[in-house]
Amino acid sequence: MSSIPWPFRNAQGIASSLKTGVSERVRQWARKRQGSDASTTRLGPGRVYILPTGVGIVFGLMAFAMLLGSMNYNNNLSFVLTFILVGVGFVSMHQCQRNLVGLELSFSGAEPVYAGQSMRFGIAVTNHSRNARHGMRLYCDGALSEIEDLQPGESRIFVLSVPTTERGWVKLERFGIRTLFPFELFRAWAWLHMDVTGLVYPQPAAQAPDPPPTMVAHGHRQHDARGEEDFAGLRKYHEGDSPRHVAWKAFARSGQLLSKQFAGADTSSQWFDFDEIASVDVEQRLSILTRWIVDADRTLEDYGLRVPGAEFEPAHGEAHRRACLEALALFDEVSG
Amino acid sequence: MARPRGTDGSLLASLPWTLGALGLSVAPHVPYLPAWITFAFFGCAVWRYLIEKRRRPLPSAWFRAALALACFLGVLITYSSISGVGPGSALLAVMASLKLLETRKRRDQFVLLFISIFLVMSSLLREQYLWSLPYMLGAVTVIMTAWLRMSASPIESAKQSFAIGGRLLLYAAPLALAMWIFFPRLATPFWAVPIDSSRATTGLSDTMSPGDISSLSLSNEVAFRVSFDNQIPDGPDRYWRGLVLTTFNGRSWTGREPAISTTARDQIVTTGDPISYEITLEPTRQQWVFALDMPVMWSLSKTFMGPQQQLARSLPIDQRVAYKAISHPEYRVEADLPEVYRNWYSNLPADSNQRSATLAREMRAAATSDQAFINAVLRKFNEEEYYYTLEPPPLGSNPVDRFLFDTRSGFCEHYASAFAVMMRSVGIPSRVVLGYQGGEINPLGGHLIVRQSDAHAWTEVWLEGVGWQRVDPTAAVAPERIDYGASGAALEGLGDAWGLSAPSELLHRLSLSIDALNAKWNEWILGYGPENQQNFMKWLGMDDPNWRKMMLTLIGVVVSLVMLISVLLMLRYRPPARDEASILYQRFVKKTGLEPIAGETAIEFGRRAKEADALPDDVIALITEAYVDARYGPYREPAFERLKVAVGSIS
Repeated sequence: MSSIPWPFRNAQGIASSLKTGVSERVRQWARKRQGSDASTTRLGPGRVYILPTGVGIVFGLMAFAMLLGSMNYNNNLSFVLTFILVGVGFVSMHQCQRNLVGLELSFSGAEPVYAGQSMRFGIAVTNHSRNARHGMRLYCDGALSEIEDLQPGESRIFVLSVPTTERGWVKLERFGIRTLFPFELFRAWAWLHMDVTGLVYPQPAAQAPDPPPTMVAHGHRQHDARGEEDFAGLRKYHEGDSPRHVAWKAFARSGQLLSKQFAGADTSSQWFDFDEIASVDVEQRLSILTRWIVDADRTLEDYGLRVPGAEFEPAHGEAHRRACLEALALFDEVSG
Repeated sequence: MARPRGTDGSLLASLPWTLGALGLSVAPHVPYLPAWITFAFFGCAVWRYLIEKRRRPLPSAWFRAALALACFLGVLITYSSISGVGPGSALLAVMASLKLLETRKRRDQFVLLFISIFLVMSSLLREQYLWSLPYMLGAVTVIMTAWLRMSASPIESAKQSFAIGGRLLLYAAPLALAMWIFFPRLATPFWAVPIDSSRATTGLSDTMSPGDISSLSLSNEVAFRVSFDNQIPDGPDRYWRGLVLTTFNGRSWTGREPAISTTARDQIVTTGDPISYEITLEPTRQQWVFALDMPVMWSLSKTFMGPQQQLARSLPIDQRVAYKAISHPEYRVEADLPEVYRNWYSNLPADSNQRSATLAREMRAAATSDQAFINAVLRKFNEEEYYYTLEPPPLGSNPVDRFLFDTRSGFCEHYASAFAVMMRSVGIPSRVVLGYQGGEINPLGGHLIVRQSDAHAWTEVWLEGVGWQRVDPTAAVAPERIDYGASGAALEGLGDAWGLSAPSELLHRLSLSIDALNAKWNEWILGYGPENQQNFMKWLGMDDPNWRKMMLTLIGVVVSLVMLISVLLMLRYRPPARDEASILYQRFVKKTGLEPIAGETAIEFGRRAKEADALPDDVIALITEAYVDARYGPYREPAFERLKVAVGSIS
C-alpha cells in the first residue's frame, strides 16, 4: 500500500471494501439459499456458480475483435477461426461447470492442534463418475488447498490449513471448491456450509514453573528373583536417575541422555492441579497445565489432572493425554 | 525493480507446446516477413527453450529493453508504417520473440498464445488456400493443447492434454459450423485497410509498349475461373474483355483511367442468344473487371461500364470476387460514331512509323473497301513470313516499322499494335483491347480456367454501318493460339522439355483435379458471401432471408447445440451404470453352477456357494464383497473396478 500515492489509496480502499461488501452479500445470499449442508454433500447443478475469469474476458474481447475483423474483410476462413474460438468459449463454460456437478464432499476430520498452530481440515472429495475431473481446488477464508485431479472413482482428501489463535472449538463456517479447467476462461465454484470443526488445545506455555513434585508409589515396588525388572521403554534422563539405568548405547547414537524404564519399577505420578498454580490469569494457567502435560507425556510419566469440575486419575497414553487436553481446551470457568 | 530471472525447468511441460503453437502460427508469415524477423523469432524460441532446459537465468531487463527498442525501430524502418496486415504481423512476431525472453511463470504463456491466435488470424487475411483451413485447424489444436498444458497437473501426459483439447474442439466444431453458416454476411466493409502491398501483382498492365519488354512471362497462375450456366462457348469465341487502349504515342498504347460512361451500355445492340456465366476473379489489385465479349449485365457491386465498353470497379479488387454476368457474342456497338470521335480514334503521332503508314495507304488504295483492306492486311500477316513468338527481339524507336519490315516476329501485342496503326493510317477508327483469350476447360469441375498466360491483345475497328468490330490479327498469324489457347501450348512445351509426355500428362491431370477442388473451395467456402448465403438460406427453406431472421436462427441453433453439449457432458460425468455390476455378477453366478433362489441376497448366495465349493473361497468372498459395495457401498466405482477384475479372473 505504501507505494500507492495518497490520493489513490483512499479510492482503492473504497473499491476493495465495495468489492468485499458485494461478495459478502452474495455469499450470504448463497448461504440462505442453500441452507446448511449434510456431512456428506453431493453438488447439484443448482449450486455450482460460474463467472468468467480475467483471461476469459480478454479471450472474449479478442473473439469480438476477430469477429469485427472477419466481417470487415469478409474473410470466411477467419470467420471459421473466430467461431471456433467462440465455440471453445461456450464449451469450456459448460465443461467448467460440469466439472464440479456431481462431486461428493464430506468432512474427513481434523487433528486437534495447539493454539497458534494451523488447523488442517481434511475434506474428502469423491468423483463418482466415469471420467476424470481436473484442476480441483478447495478454499476458504485464508486458506487454499493444492490443485488436484480426480480420476474416475477416486476419493481424495484436500487439506485446508487454517491458522488458529484461541483454544476451543474452531468451526469452518464456509468453504468452497473451485475449478478453472479447461482453459481458465471461467471459474466455477460451489460454497459449502457443513459442520466442519476442529479442537484447538491451549498453547503450551513457553516458560512454565516446574511441575509439582513427583510422588512415588512405593506400594508398587517389587523385585523379582533376578533383582531386575522387565524393560519397558526409554524416557528422558532426570537428575537422580541411577547411572545403571542410562541407555549408553542410545546416548552414543543420538547424544541424548535417556533412562531405561522398567515395568514393575517405581511408578511415579504427578498431579497437575489448576487451583495450585499461582497465577491469576485463567488462560495462562491453562497454558501452563498444557505445557506440563505435553512434557509429562513425552517422559512417559503418569500424571493426573485436576481442574474445577473435572478430575483425571494419573495415567499416561494417547487417550489420557487427549482427554486431559480436551478438558483444558474446553475449560469454562463459569460452568466449571 | 529487479524481478527474479532464474528458471527452474517448471515450464518444460508446457513451453515446447507454446513454442510449437507460435512456430505454427509464424510459419505462414515467413515468405512475407523480412529475414531478420524470422531469424529473430526462431532464434529467440530456441534460445528460450535452451534457457529452460539448462535452468539458466533469463536475459537481463536492460538487454531486453534494448532488444525491444531495436526490434520496433527495425519494424518501423522496414515497413515505414505500422498499420496493415504486413507490418501488423511483423509486429506480432517481434512481440512474441520479446515476450518469450521474459516468460518465466506458467501464466506468462497466456500472452504468447493470444499472440499466436492473432498471427493465425492475420495469416488467413493474407491467403486463403485450400490447405489454409486444415492448417489453421491443426494450429488451433496445438494452441489449445498448449493452453491446457499450462495448467495441467504434472502427472498429466501431453497425450492426455492433446486428447482433452481435441475433444473440446470437437464439441466446439458444430457450434462453429452453425455460426459460420448463419452469421449474416455484410456486403460492404466498414473500413479499408491494406491487406498487404508487398506482394507483386500479376495481371494486365495499363499500357502496352510492344518491343519494350522483349519477352512475355508465362505465368501459370489462375486469373479467373468461369462456370457457364449452359454450354461453354468454343475456343475462338472466348474473348475476355478487359481494358481498352485508345491512344498511341508512336511507341506505347495507353488507355484512360476507369471512368463511368452513362451511354456505353445503351450503345450495345444485341442479336442472337445470350450466354450467362459466373466468374471468380482472383485479386488483381486493379480496377478492371473481366467479362466475355460483349457484356450486357453483371452482378458485381460498384462496377460500371466505361466509354469503350470496358468494365471497372470503383475499388481495386483486393480479394477474390465472384460475379455473374450475361454476354452476347453477337452484338453491334456504336453504329453511329460522331466525326470528332472518328478522328480521335484514328489519331497517330505525325512523325513516327512512317513506313507502316505509307504501306497502309498503298494497300488501301489497292483495296476496294475498308473491309477488303482489313482482309488484305490480315492476309499479309498470314501469307508473308510473319512469326508468332513469345520471345521477339527488341524494337527500339518506330517499333511498328521495325516489326512490320525487319523483325517480323512477335506476339499478340505486336500484331495488335501494328494492325491498329495501319488502320489509323488510312483513317479507320481503331483501338486495342487487352484481356484474356481462351482458357482451359477443367473436365472435373466443368468450369473454365483462364490463366495469366492466356493474356491477350486484339483490336477493334469501326466500320460505317457495322460499328466496332473485333479483329484479332494474331489469329491470322497463329490460329492455333486462338484455337487451343496459350496454356495448352505451354504445357506441351513443358512435356517436350522433359522428353516425356506421360508424366506431364499425369501432372496436368493432377493439376486439373487440384484446380477443380480449388474452384469448389472458392465457390463454397471463400465465396460464401451475402448472395450465396441468401441462396443457401432459401434452399434451407427460409423465405425472404434477412439478417434479423438469420441472427434469430443462429441464436436458436447455437442455444440448442449448447444444450446438447451440456447433456453430452452430463452423460460424460454420470456414474457407471449399476446394471453393469449385475451383468458381471450374473456371470459369476453362472460360473458357480448353482441356481439362485428367489429372494436370496448376494451374501446368502455367497455363503451357499462356499458350502458347495463351487469356486475357491477367497474368490467368492472377493466377488460378493465387491458386488455388494458396487451396488450399495459409498465408493461404488472402485468396487466396480474390483468386481470387473475378479470376475475377469474366473472367466
